Amino acid sequence: MRTILCTALLAASPAWGQAVEAEEFVLDNGMKFLLYPRTEQPLNVSAGWVAHVGSVNERPGITGISHFFEHMMFKGTQTIGTNDPAQDAAFREQQEAARTKLRALQLDQNYARYLKGEIDDPWHPSHDTPEMAELRKELDRLVEAHKSVIVKDEFDQVYTQLGGSRMNAFTSNDLTFYFITVPSNKIEHWAWLESDRLADSVFREFYSERDVVHEERRKRTESTPTGVYDEQFEAMFWESSPYSWPVVGWPTDLNSYTMEQAQAYYDTYYRPNNLTGVIVGDFDAEAVKPVLVKYFGRLEAGEPPPPVVTLEMPQLAEKRMDAACECTPQVTVRHRAPPYEHADMAAFEVLANLLNGRTGRLYRSMVEGASVAAEASSGYRPLKYGGYFDIGAEVKGDATPDDLEREILAVVAKLQAEPVPERELQKVKNQVLADSYRRLEDNYSLMVQLGFYEALGDWRYLNTEGQRMQAVTAEDVQRVAKEWLVPSQRSVASYVREGGEE
Amino acid sequence: MRYALVLLLAAGCPKPAPVDSPAKTARGQLPEEAGLAKRPEDLPVTALAFEPPEPAAFRHELDGGVPLWVATSDEFPLVQISMTFKGGKYLEPAGHAGLARMTGSLIRSGGSKSKTPEALDEAFDFLAADVRVSVGNEFASADLNCLKDNLEECLDLFVEMLREPRFDASRTQVYKDGWLARLEQRNDDASDILSYEWNALLFGRDHYLGRIEKKSDIDAIDAADMKKMHARIFHPGNMSVQVSGAITADAVKPLLEKRFAGWAKGEPVDDPPAPTAAPAPGVYHVQKDIPQGKVRIGMRGITRDDPDAIAIEVMNDILGGGGFTSRITKRVRSDEGLAYTARSAFQNRVYFPGIFLAFTESKSETVAFATKIMMDEITRIRTEPVSAIELDTARAALIETFPRTFESKAATLDTFADDAWTGRDPGYWKAYRENVAKVDAARVTEVAAAHLDPAKAVILIVGDWEPIAKGDLEGHATMADFFGGEVTHLPLRDPLTDAPL
Repeated sequence: MRTILCTALLAASPAWGQAVEAEEFVLDNGMKFLLYPRTEQPLNVSAGWVAHVGSVNERPGITGISHFFEHMMFKGTQTIGTNDPAQDAAFREQQEAARTKLRALQLDQNYARYLKGEIDDPWHPSHDTPEMAELRKELDRLVEAHKSVIVKDEFDQVYTQLGGSRMNAFTSNDLTFYFITVPSNKIEHWAWLESDRLADSVFREFYSERDVVHEERRKRTESTPTGVYDEQFEAMFWESSPYSWPVVGWPTDLNSYTMEQAQAYYDTYYRPNNLTGVIVGDFDAEAVKPVLVKYFGRLEAGEPPPPVVTLEMPQLAEKRMDAACECTPQVTVRHRAPPYEHADMAAFEVLANLLNGRTGRLYRSMVEGASVAAEASSGYRPLKYGGYFDIGAEVKGDATPDDLEREILAVVAKLQAEPVPERELQKVKNQVLADSYRRLEDNYSLMVQLGFYEALGDWRYLNTEGQRMQAVTAEDVQRVAKEWLVPSQRSVASYVREGGEE
Repeated sequence: MRYALVLLLAAGCPKPAPVDSPAKTARGQLPEEAGLAKRPEDLPVTALAFEPPEPAAFRHELDGGVPLWVATSDEFPLVQISMTFKGGKYLEPAGHAGLARMTGSLIRSGGSKSKTPEALDEAFDFLAADVRVSVGNEFASADLNCLKDNLEECLDLFVEMLREPRFDASRTQVYKDGWLARLEQRNDDASDILSYEWNALLFGRDHYLGRIEKKSDIDAIDAADMKKMHARIFHPGNMSVQVSGAITADAVKPLLEKRFAGWAKGEPVDDPPAPTAAPAPGVYHVQKDIPQGKVRIGMRGITRDDPDAIAIEVMNDILGGGGFTSRITKRVRSDEGLAYTARSAFQNRVYFPGIFLAFTESKSETVAFATKIMMDEITRIRTEPVSAIELDTARAALIETFPRTFESKAATLDTFADDAWTGRDPGYWKAYRENVAKVDAARVTEVAAAHLDPAKAVILIVGDWEPIAKGDLEGHATMADFFGGEVTHLPLRDPLTDAPL
């Protein structure tokens, strides 16, 4: 019965899933486009472009600038967002002058006061000296006056009137992605607006947007039960890698960015040769190509951006973070794992699938079985220059985080000791096959996947991932578990409830 | 020239922009220099013809009158079967809050007549079927997504599970353990506190939308309760079936009829009850030591079929529903940098009026300032006419994105099935764009004045009260600016008993 079913599954799709044949179209300036016409969702296209830059390209002092920059990209250009480009430029210049002076004083005087223990936050306005307070007033006055020549959020305004929707962007450790859905008759408008902001972005409302990012950080990191601990765990896990700082950036750095730094970042990384455009949906590729040439072709290529040099140092010993928070007692057991494009990646993806779900090993052994966890799951996160594999669980009843950790390590030990039974492995492969179709159904999601994989190496990974997972053997799974999931490669975050019994 | 500027920038001495003419960009020609349209609005547009699909073209009927909606697509070898049932949380008996969600979860995880839970899960997972069952507030759903070659086998398992769930005792215990663990986390995340207290304030703690689950509910619920709720909701007199993907109506009909045969029709289910008490206006606060205050402002809204609904959609798009083109987002986020999120919404309901809601979150000292801006905007849109560009943008947004309502086949069927269940005017979608286009500035002011009343606002804040009450350094606002400075401090409540702490 089992064998028959497997054969049926494989026979139905000899190629193990459906291949996406996106067309690559490369402009003279090096900007690559992935074009994938599809009529199942008519009259719309989902379009975006990915910049091959993220927090991994940052350095101390400007952490978070990739993400901050993403916010700045919605503030317009010399054409969009102002009714007087000359005055607009003058205001920005004057603001930056006042701000440069203020910043120098904060970094000099207030950092000294802070280090002596006299004030608790060198950047807070309540600690301004009279000179700083004057400069801040001047800056506020300039920001207020600037509003007279700003056309508020005009970039959004124009797109909204054109019928654009789901406009958004995200920044990760490795990439920054900007996307939208537009009606099929507005592709040229999209090309106009996107190439305009790639040619000519200006940094309006630089300071109020910085405050917005502070609020984003407060919301996501500082006001959630484990947000600040997650951030510190990340910083503890990575040694030398730039992955150690948060994508949103450290608060001090967020306070100190200058427009000059933003401009240098833009000039270095937002060059056509470091970008990939993606269009998926109801359009004619031949008709769109001249439009892409016409608009994006005017972008001037730059020098290739500086490579990421610093690799993660080998981990020598297990690390631990024992924390108390306002949260359910819980544990995360993290191991070093392979990066994207590593030969062991497919085996790790299979491994994560073996552990998850109601027929997965974690549920069976921890939620049922030993009955110590209310929930348990694993996640493999491959990044461009490194990766990790997490197994996490939350306690139930009287169980403790130590119980969870013990049971998690028992699950790992079993993976190392015995090869996975053939049927269990086949179950995962059957799911991989079905999911290889499901993930292609929506244009928007497909567009994001194509750009995402391309930024991490090659969009074709969308097609080969399933095939590579189908080829994984029980021996492969056992081997990677033995090689990677060992104590010296481990970091553990263990949480008890603050003020609780433990 | 452009090259020279690049070098200057790289050398770290940026050339100041000349004040008399726009700065040349270092990175490519400006639109005019490149011979492009000066602005995107100047580009020609080829009209796109779109008419919403006719429900009749997708509607079929199974033996016994069960509505069947089918949309075929051969792009992928997948079939999606979604079943909708009327009934949900509002059917929970007193002392059994949480029964609805638990019943849905246990139908899925508790096994079936012929299969233990483990065997059923194993079979679904091996067949790579994605199977979900949930009982929500007003409706329940059961979904099966599988490869077309496995459809028959998956359907056998799926329909048996829906008709004769086992409600296995050990899976029931696992669910209860997890539920208790979730209950214990009730006060950990400020967003959760906000949501519990909000629903209680707006709908009342005795209404199904404001009801709080307690440990006594977990202890009280047993398999007999789940069986009763299952029998009331999951039967052919109370369901519709939506099928999309690689199968035709003719092909799927006999497959379903064969498996539904002999499934007894129960009684139709009543409509949900409306809340009894009106929300009491004022400022409410729950203490939580976080660096940000979370704010909701709200009042009773409208029903989905209210004659003002489309005008309100346009009005709210301008007020706070349209993202960066709307007033609340512009002023709170982009002008003042006070928040990451600042929006408003009319959450219309089918069976009784829903709520109007504006929400944001800001560092403690600027919570009052952000609240003041939102209250000012709510007041302003009732009295001052909106500008032509605001009106054009809102109407264009709704009209231009309208085709996305029918974007995918599954979404189209869900819309049709939902409309049929809730008795929406069959001409609604056909006339939608025309009705949006008809909304003018006077109508926007009229519906704002009729449906937004700042004096009726409930303002709920979760955060650290002392700095929140004081307001910002520059003196834009303090919490004394609202309702004469009166505030009701709501207690944190025991996560297990709901008793005030």
